[in-house]
Amino acid sequence: MSQHEVEILKRTLARERSARKQAEEILEKKSEELYHLNQKNKKAKDRLEALLKVKNSELKGFYENLVDPYIMMDLSGNAIKMNEAAEKLTAYQLSDGVLNLMKLTLPEDIDYISNSFKTLYETGRIVDFEIKIKTKTSKIKLVQINASIIYDEHNKPIAAQGILRDITLNKLYERKLEAEKQKYSSIIANMNLGLLEVDNDDKVLFVNQSFEEMSGFSSKELLGKVASSIFLKDESKEKLAIEHEKRKKGSSNSYELQVFTKTGEPRFWLISGAPNYNLKGEITGSIGVHLDITNLKKLEKQKEELLEELAKSNESLEEYAHVVSHDLKSPLRSINALVSWIKEDNLENLDELSIQNIVMIEKTLEKMELLISDVLEYSRVGADLHLDQKININHLLKDLLEVIYVPANIHVSVENNLPIVLGDKVKLEQLFQNLLSNAIKFCDKEKGEIKVSCVDVGTHFQFAISDNGMGIEKQYFEKIFKIFHSLNERKDSSGIGLSIVKKIVELHHGNIWLESKVGEGTIFYFTIKKENSYEKNAINKK
Amino acid sequence: MNTFLKILLIEDDAIEVMKFNRAISSLSLPHKMVNAGNGEEALKILEQKDRLPDIILLDLNMPKINGIEFLSILKNDSDLRYIPTIILSTSNNQKDLLECYKIGVAGYVLKPLKYEEYVSKIEKLLSYWSINQLITI
Repeated sequence: MSQHEVEILKRTLARERSARKQAEEILEKKSEELYHLNQKNKKAKDRLEALLKVKNSELKGFYENLVDPYIMMDLSGNAIKMNEAAEKLTAYQLSDGVLNLMKLTLPEDIDYISNSFKTLYETGRIVDFEIKIKTKTSKIKLVQINASIIYDEHNKPIAAQGILRDITLNKLYERKLEAEKQKYSSIIANMNLGLLEVDNDDKVLFVNQSFEEMSGFSSKELLGKVASSIFLKDESKEKLAIEHEKRKKGSSNSYELQVFTKTGEPRFWLISGAPNYNLKGEITGSIGVHLDITNLKKLEKQKEELLEELAKSNESLEEYAHVVSHDLKSPLRSINALVSWIKEDNLENLDELSIQNIVMIEKTLEKMELLISDVLEYSRVGADLHLDQKININHLLKDLLEVIYVPANIHVSVENNLPIVLGDKVKLEQLFQNLLSNAIKFCDKEKGEIKVSCVDVGTHFQFAISDNGMGIEKQYFEKIFKIFHSLNERKDSSGIGLSIVKKIVELHHGNIWLESKVGEGTIFYFTIKKENSYEKNAINKK
Repeated sequence: MNTFLKILLIEDDAIEVMKFNRAISSLSLPHKMVNAGNGEEALKILEQKDRLPDIILLDLNMPKINGIEFLSILKNDSDLRYIPTIILSTSNNQKDLLECYKIGVAGYVLKPLKYEEYVSKIEKLLSYWSINQLITI
C-alpha cells in the first residue's frame, strides 16, 4: 500500500466518522421531538375520549327522547336498547327479559330479512328497509327502518341500531291512492270517450287511447301539437276560440264541433270541456272529454228527413183524398143536373114508374155524395189536430144540441157537471155529433130517451151516451167501428160515422166500447185521457 | 142599380156551364155570361180592358192555371183586382177557404149536389150582385 493510498483511506474514514456523528445528532433530535409529540397525542386522546363520553351520553338522551322508535340490538338480534316509542310500537319492554327481534318478524319474511341483514352487515347501513312486524299484542304493523352498524375501536361490528317508523297507515293511504289512481287511469284508458288535455296554447299534453282511435292519430303524432290546427277547419276554429275564452274564465260546458280525422273524414264530436288548474289554482289549460256523435247526427238527420217525408206524404195523401173526392163529386152533380132536366123537360111524357126511378136515381146520387164526403172526412180526422185546447164539454154539448135536429119525440138529457177536457174542439164536436145523431137516427120508440153522462176514472174521463133505441146485436159490437160497416141500409148512413168516432177517441188516447140489448137500447162508452202531455205532432204541425 | 150583369164564368166543365146557362134562362134573368174554359182563356178575355165583366165566377178546380193561381194573378193586376170574384167550389176545406179569403175574394159558394139547390144559390148570388154598386173602369 503506498503512502498515497493510505492517505486516501484515512481521509475517507474521517469523513465517514463525521457523517455518522451528524446522523446520531439528527436521530437524537428526532427522538426528542417524537417524545414531545407522543405527549401531545396522549393529551388529545384523553380529551377526545372525554368528549366522546359526553357525546355518547348526549346521544343516549337524544335516542331516548326521540319521537320515532329507536332500537339497538347486538349482532345476534337481541335488543339492547329500546326507547319509549319503540316499546310502545312493539308493545314489548326491555324489562320483560331478553327480546330477540326475530320474534317480531313474520316467518314468510325470513329470506328478505336475511338478505337485508347481509346488506346492513356488508355496507354498514340500510336505508328505508320496509318490513312487517308482529307486536306483542299480535298486531301486524308495517315499519320502515333506517339502521346502521356500531363498530368498536378495532373497527369490529358489535351492534346495530335503527330508527323505526310506523308506516302502516301511510302505506294504506298510499295503496288506496294508488288504487284510485289505477281505477281512474283504467277508466280513462278504457272509456269510450276520447280524452284530450291541452295547455293554454292549445298544445296537446295528453290523449287517451280512445282519443287516438277516434282521431286516427297516435299519441306521438299529437303531443306538443296545436290541437285545433290538426282537427279543425276555419269555421270550427272560430267556434273553438269562443269555447277557449270560456275555459280561460274558468267555466265548463259542452259543445259540438265538426272535426276532421287523420284520414280527412269529417266527424261530429260532442266535447265537454273544463279548465285545468295547477296546485296554485292557476288555469294551465283545459281538459276535454270527446264523444263521437256522427252516427247520432246522421240518425237525427235521417229522422228529420223521414219526418219531413212523412209530413209530405201525409199532406199529399190528404191532398189526394181531397182531389179524388171532389173529382168524384163533380160527375154526381152533373148526373143530378142532367136527370133533373130530363124530368123537367119530359114531365108530361114520363109515366109514374119512370118518375119513381128518377127519384131513386136522385136518392142514390145523394147517398153516393154522402159516402164520398164521409170518406174525405175520415181521411182528415187526424189532420190539423190541436189537442191542447181546453174544452168545456157542457158548453160544447149545449151548442151542439142547438145545431143538430132533435125530433120532438126524443128527449136528450145531459148531466150537469161534465168536465173540462184537453182536446181538439172540432174533433170532439164531431165525436159527440156522430154519437148523438146515431142515437137519434136509430130511435124506434114512441118516446126516445138519450142521456149523456160522465164519470172520473182516474187517468181518464169516461163518457156514456145511452139511448132506448133499437139496440145492436152482440156479434156486431166490434164490427160497427170498422169503416164502411153500416148495419142498416139507410140513405143517410154511410157506415163511416162510428169509424170516425173511434179514430177521434183514439186520437185523445181513449177507448170506445158499447153495451146493448136488441130492442132495449144501447150505451156507448168512451174515455178521454185527462192530463195529456201531447207531444207536438210534428207531422201535422210541421 | 145594374139591371143586368156582365158575368165571366171561369169553368172547364161543360155541364156546369150548361147548368149556369139553364139556371139563368129558367130564372129569366137578363144577365150576360161569357165562359172561359180555363185561366189562360180568362186572362185573354180580360185583356180587353174596355169590355171587362162586372163580376167573375171562378171554379177552383181547373186544369193548367188552378183557381188560386188565377186569383193571385188577378189580384196583382192594377185594374182587374177591383172586379168582384166569387168562388164556386166543391171544396169546403178550411185551407182552401182561408187561402181564397186571404188573397181576396168577394164570396165563396159551395156547389150543391142537387140542381134545384144550385139554381136557388145562383139566383140569390146574382140578385145580390145586381143590387150592388160596381166600379166601372
